[in-house]
Amino acid sequence: MINKTLYAREMKKSIKLLVIFGAIITLYVSIIISMYDPEMMKVLDGFAQMMPELMAAVGMTIGSADLLGFMVSYLYGFILLIFPMVFSILRGNGLVAAYVDKGSMASLLAAPVKRRTIVCTQMAALLSGIGILLAYSTGLEAVCVQIMFPGELELSKLLVLNLGLLCLQLFIGGICFLASCAFSDTKYSIGFGAGIPALMYVVQMLANVGGSAEKAKYFTFFTLFAPDELVAGENSAAAGVLVLFVGAVLLYCAAAVIFEKRDLFV
Amino acid sequence: MQLKRKKVSVAEVRIASAWFYVMIKLPKETLFYRKDSIENKKERDLAMTENNGSIIVDHLTRDYGSGKGIFEVSFQVNSGEVFGFLGPNGAGKTTTIRHLMGFLQARAGQCTINGMDCWKERDKIQKILGYIPGEISFFDDMSGTEFLDFIGKYRRNPADSRRKELVERFELNPQGKIKKMSKGMKQKLGIVAAFMHDPEILILDEPTSGLDPLMQNRFIELVEEERKRKKTILMSSHMFEEVERTCHHIGIIRAGKLVALDSVESLRDRYVRPYTVTLDTPELAEAFAKDFGGACEGNRVTVTTKQSLEEIFMHYYGGDGNDQ
Repeated sequence: MINKTLYAREMKKSIKLLVIFGAIITLYVSIIISMYDPEMMKVLDGFAQMMPELMAAVGMTIGSADLLGFMVSYLYGFILLIFPMVFSILRGNGLVAAYVDKGSMASLLAAPVKRRTIVCTQMAALLSGIGILLAYSTGLEAVCVQIMFPGELELSKLLVLNLGLLCLQLFIGGICFLASCAFSDTKYSIGFGAGIPALMYVVQMLANVGGSAEKAKYFTFFTLFAPDELVAGENSAAAGVLVLFVGAVLLYCAAAVIFEKRDLFV
Repeated sequence: MQLKRKKVSVAEVRIASAWFYVMIKLPKETLFYRKDSIENKKERDLAMTENNGSIIVDHLTRDYGSGKGIFEVSFQVNSGEVFGFLGPNGAGKTTTIRHLMGFLQARAGQCTINGMDCWKERDKIQKILGYIPGEISFFDDMSGTEFLDFIGKYRRNPADSRRKELVERFELNPQGKIKKMSKGMKQKLGIVAAFMHDPEILILDEPTSGLDPLMQNRFIELVEEERKRKKTILMSSHMFEEVERTCHHIGIIRAGKLVALDSVESLRDRYVRPYTVTLDTPELAEAFAKDFGGACEGNRVTVTTKQSLEEIFMHYYGGDGNDQ
């Protein structure tokens, strides 16, 4: 189903990005977890009270009492959303559209390898990248919490939270990959692959500000990933995550079918 | 008298049957259709079903709108044959080749290689096919060696029996990064990548562009060797000399339509122009015939000019109108 040679090449190309994003995530996650301090919380809450719109826009809200709530507020509103998303945008485009745009896709097609195999290999490379990034950040969070605040966090809740995040990131990856498979021109594949997730995130920021802008939350898929509710074990949050997962599966299938059927001018 | 007449008629019958034989045999053996016989669908279909060791393009049409695209293109290339596919820029050569490669799906008509549909069974076809793209674009991040290794493994064809020989033949130094290679170097790399798995079918889109004359020569020799080894070769080109030296059959495409389809010889013969010159004395005529390679008959001399292929091509290429 996948071509190992091609997969190895793509993973090799992903490594650089993975290392960079891994390093950024390491920096943020470790610093933010170390910042957890009930006293400090009051200071941050003070900031949030002074400029609630600005803090809320980046997903930081008042009243994240326990450690997990603190992490949700300061990690799952921005850092862990944005960096894997940027990874998906860059790699998603590089895996298919860049080859078609440059014409080097011809080298991949002019071989006894089915198009389905090619697209599945590229998909596997993207999924592996997202998986590695999230698995790493989950492990990192667990280790940091265990070292700095042993026993303050239920690991199962952290896993549920990150599973939800994984579904969201898979969905974003699906959008990028579909755009990459559907357009020959990198202009359009980046336009849609990066534009849609970025726009959705901006809408999400707007919705977070609250007030009348809160209605904007109905126009962004980020709403489907509700970390606070997910940790609290609410059914609606689980349903949202499920929708993201099913959506992701559909997006990848659509991408594969489109790539298999379409004309490639290479 | 009667006996004599009978004898003549036997001869006539022989001649007629010989002609009949030629007419029946010719399309099957050469499997190549003159432009005027393309219309004869029955004959074509018969011939096409009889040989499937070949590339067949049958009424292939792809309309991009506003007169662009290819229209009703039909031709066939057999094993042991080199087919020269010629035409001005943008005439539709690469579009046709993309159909053969399974990059594009035929909208009307069809194309097959060894009886396999070029779109549906493209992965099977690729097993026995070597391809040089018209616009070479490999993986810039790799070195030449890495690229050849990659293609070998990717094709699951690690043997690559001919790689070393080809690298030496074209004096290719594949160590450097592809990004830093010159056009000619990349072209050499493309040639090695296309030939190294020793494919039966070769589709070469302007294979010598960017090569120096020495390497062009080596490439022509390589093509000739491959032809002798019964390979089926389709080659698009702009170089008249190259075509003249390698191709036996030629298709000229212009504005998406095949305007000429013939063997090199008959294409040439079609453009023979005889002139008869009358001179004052038979002696002068003889001298004239000697100087100009004509046939002398009394004081009349017939000289023929043979147009070079280049001129013939120009005849097809030329004219106004935007070629697409």
